[in-house]
Order: sequence, then structure tokens, then C-alpha cells
Amino acid sequence: MDLDYRTLEYLRQNHPAWRLLRAQNAPLIASFLYRVFVAPNIRVISQSDLAEMLEDDLFVLRQNAGTDRFPGTALGYLNDWSDNDKGWLRKFYPSGTDEPHFDLTPATEKALVWLESLIERVFVGTESRLLTLFELLRQMSEGTEADPDIRVAELRKRRDEIDDEIGRVLSGEVSLLDDTALKDRFQQFVQIARALLSDFREVEHNFRSLDRRVRERIALWDGSKGALLEEIMGERDAISSSDQGRSFQAFWDFLMSQSRQEELTSYLDHVLSLDPIAEMEPEPRLRRVHYDWLEAGEHAQRTVARLSEQLRRFLDDQAWLENRRIMDILHSVESHAVALRDEHPSGGFTYMDETSPTVDLPMEKPLYKAPFKPLLDQVILEEGHSDLDMDELYSQVIIDRDALSRNIRRELQTRGQISLGEVIALNPLRQGLTELVAYLDLSSLWPYVVVDEEEKEKVCWRNEDGAFRSAIMPRIILARSR
Amino acid sequence: MNCAETESLSSVVIPLLKGVVYRDEKPKIWEDLLRLQGFVRDYVKVLGLELNLDESEGYAFLGSVEEEEGADRPRLVARRQLSYPVSLVLALLRKKLAEFDAGGGDVRLILSRDDVVEMVRIFFPEGSDDVRLIDKMDSTLNRIADMGFIRRLKGEEEMIEVRRIIKAFVDAQWLSEFDRRLDEYRQRLVEDDE
Repeated sequence: MDLDYRTLEYLRQNHPAWRLLRAQNAPLIASFLYRVFVAPNIRVISQSDLAEMLEDDLFVLRQNAGTDRFPGTALGYLNDWSDNDKGWLRKFYPSGTDEPHFDLTPATEKALVWLESLIERVFVGTESRLLTLFELLRQMSEGTEADPDIRVAELRKRRDEIDDEIGRVLSGEVSLLDDTALKDRFQQFVQIARALLSDFREVEHNFRSLDRRVRERIALWDGSKGALLEEIMGERDAISSSDQGRSFQAFWDFLMSQSRQEELTSYLDHVLSLDPIAEMEPEPRLRRVHYDWLEAGEHAQRTVARLSEQLRRFLDDQAWLENRRIMDILHSVESHAVALRDEHPSGGFTYMDETSPTVDLPMEKPLYKAPFKPLLDQVILEEGHSDLDMDELYSQVIIDRDALSRNIRRELQTRGQISLGEVIALNPLRQGLTELVAYLDLSSLWPYVVVDEEEKEKVCWRNEDGAFRSAIMPRIILARSR
Repeated sequence: MNCAETESLSSVVIPLLKGVVYRDEKPKIWEDLLRLQGFVRDYVKVLGLELNLDESEGYAFLGSVEEEEGADRPRLVARRQLSYPVSLVLALLRKKLAEFDAGGGDVRLILSRDDVVEMVRIFFPEGSDDVRLIDKMDSTLNRIADMGFIRRLKGEEEMIEVRRIIKAFVDAQWLSEFDRRLDEYRQRLVEDDE
């Protein structure tokens, strides 16, 4: 893929990472997402937690930058950032909970890594990377050498080198890494360790798109059933046998062993306690970076297992054929239904069994139980105040919130956006302040809402006793969609 | 069967008589059910019921055994009449689920009420105003929720989850029956017009 003009033009328009960099609020978005997802290595956050953290950030920012700088609500921002046209957050419902959860998309992670790279490093080490490259080349050429004579010669050469070194050490000649070499290596270790961590999101993302591609192929299949089965058998383990799947598995097997974990822990402890390294003030989290890898890997592992299982279910021969038949019938159902749009059949039209036998248990009602009467003694009764206004207790009003949201929706049918003041002007308040508060509450939950603190709106209504009342409030604009 | 097994059999059959058993909701009962499948099947056969168990989807329920013609036993599983809008929305939700499964990625199909309104819009008279359509959908969705094919999310009243058990009820057989009735109804309309 070249970085030619057209490719870049396309990326600029469509790639979420570039969109993030171009966004008006990029500093807010990037700093917030970095703080909550990347720095602590977290992969899933519930909507309420994330919104609360964002609300805190917004509060601080508004105090410094003025209240009009960030007009949206935290929830509004989160939904906006996870919309398809932004694609910075992935919003999903994990099983077993009704609350949406969020994770970064790989594109966002890329943008954050790039932003981080803009901050200058103290020094750029080159030696350790050259050695790493050399080592990789050695592994590749040795690992593909089938001629045993050459392999043995290579191994003998290395053994001679080791023998030499043993001899030197025994004679008291211990060669040590100097401080520069040490820092150089450590810096490279930190870079790769973090890159590995951020790659996991991409790994998961790729698994998901692989899964989607396989399903698309199957859904669009129009060959014979035999050919499909052959195809299906080949695809059963499409995910785990892909290059990425196999590499991930190898990584996982390597990291999973107990002895390996202990080895990593002791190495890390030793290295981090060296003076030159301690002077670099590495992040404290590095000490447990291998656990972070493990956690991230486990997350990816679970994703792969889940996708593979679902894919198998989807490929289940019978389910697949049933799905195709269903789609055919539905096609016909839809064309009938469109033709009948103005003349819907009335009354019962189809039959369906219930999902369980009907068990009526009229006697299951609990019997009367005498209510529990607390007995209070040793309480000193005090004289009550009789100057309270009891009317408050008797004048409770019930607000029909659904009716209010219907009012808003009805007004939005004829225009793209409307302010709350206009909605109320068109649908006069009948229950005064209580109703106004209910409107404000509904507005705060409205999916597309902007509050303009600069502009004020006046709302008027009549009290039950006919007295005129009015309230001044910021202009709240409700929109049908973005 | 020993005592312990009779004990577990009760703890499986009773919940099944009361409603659908989901693996995610009642893992303990689910485990017993898998172990005692054969016993459960024999036991409910006496009542004219059969066990429908989908291990990969993780749900199980009791249905009526298909009667031979002329057999005249009362059914324990009631058969309900569904209005046209309810039938149509069920069919469309089933379609959404099929498309969703073909898209991959997630197990849970979650839709907003607005998604449902958009989904049915072209099947309702043109110019029917949104407010009425939304009210209509609300009552239709309530009916479908009562049947157990969707559930409203807690704390997000505007969102519904399509439960995968819909696949067992809105199957090819039910859909072709629905299609046949639609076809007949249209024929009748044409004849009435002539």
C-alpha cells in the first residue's frame, strides 16, 4: 500500500485515527481516552463509570476554559464517539448485563501511540535494535536450514564462542554492559513491551473482521450444498488456523507457563533495581508488564474462543439451510406486507404456541399475615411544630413523561431541531414547574441535545390560581439526529 | 433412579413447566437438565409434552407433542392467536436475527425502539404519523415481550434484546404458514374488489 495522494485522501476522509487527529476536541478526546484506557491497560469499562470519569474531566476543563467550551453531556460525547461516523470507541453489550460497555478501537490506539511519539525522547539507542535485527535474521536462516551438516557446523561455532567466554570468566575477566548499553536496551524493551500491549486490540479487531468475512462468504454462497460443506469444513477453524491465530497461540503457550512467569518476574525485578535504570525513572507498571500481557492475551483468547464457537454454530449445516429458507420466505412475506400496508388484516391472524405449559396457581397467593407492629418504648416525645404547610403533602402531581416526549417527537417531525422553549410555547405547560422540570430531565436524556449557555429562553405558565409565572433557562436545542 | 436423581428431576421439570430455562440464567438447573435429559423426556411424554433443548443456543422449553389426526387430548401448552402487527414484527425480528448472525461478532442482538419503528415503517400506511406508529409499536413490543421473545433492558427502557429462542418458534414452518395466510388474504381482497 503506497502513501499516494488518493490513498491518503481516502484515509483522511475515512480512517477513524486521522479523523480523531482532525477533530475539534482532539486534545480532550485523546487525553481522556489515554488516561482511562491505555495508561491503566483497561479493556472494558461500563457506561456509567466511563461517563462519570468524563464528567469529572469536563468539569475541570470547563472551569479553566469557560463553560461554553464543551457544551455536550458526557453521555452524549460517549455516544457520539462510538457512532460509526467517528469510530473511536466500540460500544457493546457483554453477556449477562444490560448496561452498554466501551473499549477503544484499534484506530484510536494508533492515533494515541503516534501522538505519544511526538514527545521527544531523551536519547535514541540504536545498538540494541541492530543486535535484535541480527538475532532475528539468525533465527530465520538457521530455522529454515535443512542440511544437518550446516546446522551442526553452526552449533559448533556457537559452542566454541561459549567455551571461550567461560574460559574468560574463569580467569576473572567478566565483561559487563556499560550504562549506555544498558539504557539503550531498556528503552527498547519498554517500547516493544508497550507496543505488544497495544497490538492486542488490533489482534482482536482482526479476529472479528476475519470472522465477519467468513460469514459473509457463507451467507452469499450460491453453490451446491456439497461444495458448501467442503468449504465449511475448510473454514471450521478459519480463525484459529490463520497466521495471526497461530502466532497468537504460540505467544500464548509461551507466556502461559508458570516457570516462564517466574523467570520474567525475577528478570524484571533485577533489571529495575539496577542504578542506571532506576535513574531513568521507569513507570512503576513495568514491573508487572508480563501480567498485563497475560491479561490482554486472555481477553483476546476469550474473544477468539467465542468467535470460533459462534462460527461453528452459524456453520451448523441445518441452521444454515434453515436460515436460507427463512430469508426466502421472508422475502415473500415482505412483498405481501408492503402490498397490504393500507389494508391490514384485523383480529387474530396467526397462531403460536406458548413457550411453556400453562400452570395456573390461584392458591399460590400468600395468606394474610398480621403486619409487624414495632413497639417503641423509652422514647421521649417532643412537641411538634404546627406551623407547617400541610398543603404540600396533598398537592402531589403526576407527570405523564411519555406524553411530554411525544410532544418533543411530534415537533421534530416537521423540523430537524427545536429548542425546548419552542416546544413549550407550542405545548403550553399545564402543570407548571413540575412539568418544566420533567421536560428538563427528558432533555438531559435526549440522544442529540446541545445546551447553549449563552442564549437564554423564557418560559411562561399560569398557576392553578391563575397567577402568571415565568422561568429563565439556558437555550436547550433538541435535534432529531445529528 | 435413586432418590438423589428424583430430587434433581423435580428441580428440572418444575422450572420447565413454569417457563423457558436459559443456561446463562440458571447454570445449575441447566447442568442437571443436560445430565437428566433422557429421564425428563420420558417423564414429560406422559403429559403429552416434549423437551426442546438447544445446547449451542443455551435454552430449553416444553412444547406439545404433535397430535395425530383425531386424537382428542387437551393441550397443556396453550396456542395463542396473534394479531397481524404482532405476527409481522415477529417475522421481521427473526430476519434481523438472521442478518445479525451473518454479520458475526456479537451474540446479543440489541435494538432501540427507533430501530424497530424504522424496520416496520414501510409496512404501515404512508403518512401514518410517528407518534401513532411509536405507540402502536410499544403495544406490539409489549405483547412480544410477554411471549418471551424480547426483553427490555434494565435501565434502558428504549432498548430491547431479541432473545435467541425466537428461532425455535418463528421457524421456516411458521413463516411459510404466515406467508400462506397473507397470500390468501390478498386474494380475498382482490376478489372483494371485483
